[in-house]
Amino acid sequence: MRGTIRWARADLRARRGQALLTIGAVAGVVAALVLATMLLEGAVNPWKALFARTHGADMVMYLAHGTDPEALDHLPRIRQVGVPYYTAPATLEQQAVKSPVQLVAMGPRLPQMSTPIVVAGSWLRGGDADGVVVEASFAAAVHAGLDDQIRVQSVDADVVLMKIIGIADTADQGFYPQWTPGLIWVQQAALNRVEPIAAEQEEVVGLRLTSTSPQVEGEVAQNINDTYQSYTGRLVIERFSTAAQVEASMASNDRLVGLLLAVFGIIALVAAPCAIANVTAGRVLMYRQDIAMLKALGFTPGQVIRMLVGTQMLLGIVGACLGVLAARVVTAPAFVRPPAGSAVGLAPLPGWWVTLIAAGVVATVAVATLIPAWWAGRVSPVAAVRVTPPRGHLSRIARLGLLVHLPAPLVLGARDSLNRRLPALLTVFGVAIPLVVITIALSCWSTIDGFKGDPARIGLAATLNVTGPSAAGVHDSDRAQVEAAFPADSFPTLVPGGNGTFTALAIGDSAGSRRYPFHVVQGSMYDSPQQAVAGQGFLDLTGLSVGEWVTVSIEGRNVTVRIVGRVLDPVDNGDVLAFGRDALTKQGIGPQPPQYYSVELRPGVSAAAAKARLSRNGLSVTEVANPADSLGVVRVVIVVSVVVLAVIALANLLTATAIGLRDHRHETGVLAAIGLTPRQVMTTLVVNTTILTLIGVAGGLVAGLVVAPRLINMQGRSSGLGAEIYAGPSALMVAFVVCISVFVATSAAVLLARRTMSGFMRNERWLHEPELATG
Amino acid sequence: MNDPVLRTRGLAKVYRADGVAAEAIRGVDIEVGAGEFVAIMGPSGSGKSTLLHVLGGLEPATRGEIWLRGQRVERLSTAAWAILRRRHVGFVFQSFNLLSNMTVADNVELPALLAGASPKQARKRREELLGELGLTAKAHAAPSRLSGGEQQRVALARALANEPSLLLADEPTGNLDSIGARDVLRLLQRTHDNGQAILLVSHDARVASRADRVIHLFDGMVADDAPVIRAPRPVRDVVGDVLELRG
Amino acid sequence: MRLHLLALLAKEPAHGYELKLALEQTFGEAYPSPNIGQIYVTLKRLEQDGLVCSEDVTQTDRPNKRVYELTPAGREVLDAWVAEPSEGPRVRDEFFIKLILVPMAGLADRMKLINSQRRHYLGIMRNLTALAATSETADPPARLLIEGAILHLQADLDWLERCQEELV
Repeated sequence: MRGTIRWARADLRARRGQALLTIGAVAGVVAALVLATMLLEGAVNPWKALFARTHGADMVMYLAHGTDPEALDHLPRIRQVGVPYYTAPATLEQQAVKSPVQLVAMGPRLPQMSTPIVVAGSWLRGGDADGVVVEASFAAAVHAGLDDQIRVQSVDADVVLMKIIGIADTADQGFYPQWTPGLIWVQQAALNRVEPIAAEQEEVVGLRLTSTSPQVEGEVAQNINDTYQSYTGRLVIERFSTAAQVEASMASNDRLVGLLLAVFGIIALVAAPCAIANVTAGRVLMYRQDIAMLKALGFTPGQVIRMLVGTQMLLGIVGACLGVLAARVVTAPAFVRPPAGSAVGLAPLPGWWVTLIAAGVVATVAVATLIPAWWAGRVSPVAAVRVTPPRGHLSRIARLGLLVHLPAPLVLGARDSLNRRLPALLTVFGVAIPLVVITIALSCWSTIDGFKGDPARIGLAATLNVTGPSAAGVHDSDRAQVEAAFPADSFPTLVPGGNGTFTALAIGDSAGSRRYPFHVVQGSMYDSPQQAVAGQGFLDLTGLSVGEWVTVSIEGRNVTVRIVGRVLDPVDNGDVLAFGRDALTKQGIGPQPPQYYSVELRPGVSAAAAKARLSRNGLSVTEVANPADSLGVVRVVIVVSVVVLAVIALANLLTATAIGLRDHRHETGVLAAIGLTPRQVMTTLVVNTTILTLIGVAGGLVAGLVVAPRLINMQGRSSGLGAEIYAGPSALMVAFVVCISVFVATSAAVLLARRTMSGFMRNERWLHEPELATG
Repeated sequence: MNDPVLRTRGLAKVYRADGVAAEAIRGVDIEVGAGEFVAIMGPSGSGKSTLLHVLGGLEPATRGEIWLRGQRVERLSTAAWAILRRRHVGFVFQSFNLLSNMTVADNVELPALLAGASPKQARKRREELLGELGLTAKAHAAPSRLSGGEQQRVALARALANEPSLLLADEPTGNLDSIGARDVLRLLQRTHDNGQAILLVSHDARVASRADRVIHLFDGMVADDAPVIRAPRPVRDVVGDVLELRG
Repeated sequence: MRLHLLALLAKEPAHGYELKLALEQTFGEAYPSPNIGQIYVTLKRLEQDGLVCSEDVTQTDRPNKRVYELTPAGREVLDAWVAEPSEGPRVRDEFFIKLILVPMAGLADRMKLINSQRRHYLGIMRNLTALAATSETADPPARLLIEGAILHLQADLDWLERCQEELV
């Protein structure tokens, strides 16, 4: 035992650089995996925890005013019916910015279902009619705090002053601004002030079901409609939202992120054992002499294996701990932070998850080490190892090369690498695999840049939504910034068959130049009122495909259109069916002023600046969320991954170079004897080692560029965004990577070769007795 | 003689490569008594090194018996051989004797630690051994900083660290210049004078002639096994037995 | 022997006993130095050949000693010897003849002959190495003499092995 410890200690001390590289590689892999798992949906979705704590409702039904909820209790599959409350839309004026809000009337007693959790201040108080509670994410977004006085403007533009007495969290809807409008709880009296006409107040009832699935939800909705229809003769459900929808929308962008990161994680999990196996195999190859000596001294094969695996595992454990720490540090600023003030108190992953990941990586290290170690255990203890020269006769290629007078070092160097199969393969793969992942990472980066730089490419032509009395003239009033403004109405609509809701979007005209510039990826754009385009999510939801007809019920009327194209839609997760507004008027809906105007800005104009200017003109402006914003997280991870992978690639490169030099050391004497100058000998060594690494780099790049588009588009498709989101890295970036790799590979080889050669130069006997050369 | 330290009977080792069997040693019977210094000579390819490796358990024998300290050992497993070597067999090779990633001190202490000594005991033994060699100053140097002769002497000291029953040496002066060889030879002599049993392979008659007995191996078998008799000659005539100075 | 004495006398004239001492001191213990009688006989022959000349020197309370000196003719002979490379058989021809011829006559086994010769050589080698050990502090010529013998003996042993390979 002591013997093994002593050897292990001396070995770690002697090979400090390699040990550090191994630790770094493992730490990086662990950190990457932890980050990836964190963002996979289901593991830590702040919304999910909140939903559990607030006893959230599975379905939130918006019913016709005055509906008696009693019948709901007796319907099948409904476990619990919440107390109905009333709600009305309004606008909040805060710091010259107008934001749409939903006022929800509640009493001083907290409801049992969908209980808001107060995180600051207090809930609605008995005698305080003007005291209101604002939802936390909304409060943070509009910079509203406790004791602030806010101006709430009704639809008729009457202003009511209210005072914020509390801030609370709820799971009924997503966080602002992904989910609008903002939520404010008020007393019924205050609601009545804002919306005096009772019939205009919507009645809201929350339901908890016996089981949740789109099918069940659809059945419940159908049931309710049927039941009440027999009483009242009309459809009573105006719209509904389900917890599943909220969860999906909350996680939607996170899902793309999570998927991307999961891909990184899996590849890292594959790359890590490869890298570590490469390094360990390399060390074992270098240690053949020493291992033979150890056995002659009396180390049993089992001890030898234990020593190798033990030292590697020790490094692995240290690396894993560092990786966990690094993950914690990176997430401490809580990039997954729920909106400010949230009571959820996000802790990264549960402790046991992290331990599992770390243990898994260490186990991988152990397994990856085991094979070379087992082989080491079988190395003969006979130390008389003249490393057998490569089974090379001068290959035909090499002979040809010499014939055409290629420089001898080039040919000899290449011959060596082509002849030693196993170490060569190790080198090539050890460098190629990290480069594949680096290329994929760079492709993700450029894709995200594509989101930001060219939003129209992912269907985000319009970046602002504008409402307000003067919204109609927004284009004329500010031609400098505004490219075009499209009147739009969006209706949350039941899917025919009733198993979900989507957004029916009537925007612009259905033909001519005033059509909304959708990004069509399949089929074509609509050009008549009977045509429409749909997002991937809608097609998935309804099971329809491009070219089919569909009938949807909007505002009680049936609208029938033919889906002629599929578009990218990041706003509603692709759950959208879009057509011109004249399609509505043809069916007898409207004409009516549009709900909002969708504003496309001139190229180069920043959304934030435009928003500020337009707001000052008395308009209420909201930004349309760009997926790139929440994907900012992925950028951090990309940088970290690229660094980690570069380290892994470098480790493999250095190991390969060291092995190559050690193996060829005795050949240098021969090379000199046949007439190569010392400089030429060194060139041979360098060429030999760099050729393989360059093959690895090239292979990795090409493989990565082939795999990345498929991978990224696959993620895009499954996240509902739709495929074709891929934007490749620029030629400049690729060239940069190539140059850096070549530079590093050659420098490493030259530096190491020089060190080996200088050892020779000092001892002049190398020319005659290469095997005496030590050091 | 009283029980020999090493005894073999009908020892044979056959290598198989590409379907062809090559007999490296066939039917070797030798003995090494306690405190005896035996040298094995023979042309290259006679199987000298193979014999030594088989006797030390570095390679398994194909046939025959090996008795070490009265115990039959030729069928021991690799692990059991390793444990046996720790306490009872010291090995010195022609080259690459010292572990490159450990200092000289670590190298010398390793066998003691392996055999179960405490770090303090190991250190004491190391200081003794290096002191005897006059290499205390180089205790914490890397092996590559020592000359060939110094490395071999350290290797020898390490091999003797646990006071093994038998020292096996394979061409210990093979790679050394005359000065290094002389130093190693002197150390071997001193070791022998201390009563160590030594079995050594060497093509160098200078080394072999210092043995008590020389075994000559030819074509995998023992061709001759006789003690080295120091013919008594006056000093004057010693050189004259070889060189005739005429003029 | 003749040329040894001529070379010594080239340095300075000396008498017989001095020459003997000089040889012993130069080549050390291991030098198979001849007895004094042999020296005197050689000197006399050299004088007869005209290569040295002698002179009697009177000493007070001792017998006269004869001092020898190099002649020009002797000098010439010496120079010629220096200029020419030395030849001379090194082959142990007696043993070689024995090895080749004797087994043909069925008188002895080759292997036994070789083994016996080798044992003999090893014994000699033992002596030589012991001598080398004690002569470490001697002058270079003495040490080199012993080293030369050792190397030659090693060569003989190697040759013996070759004979064994080919003839047995």
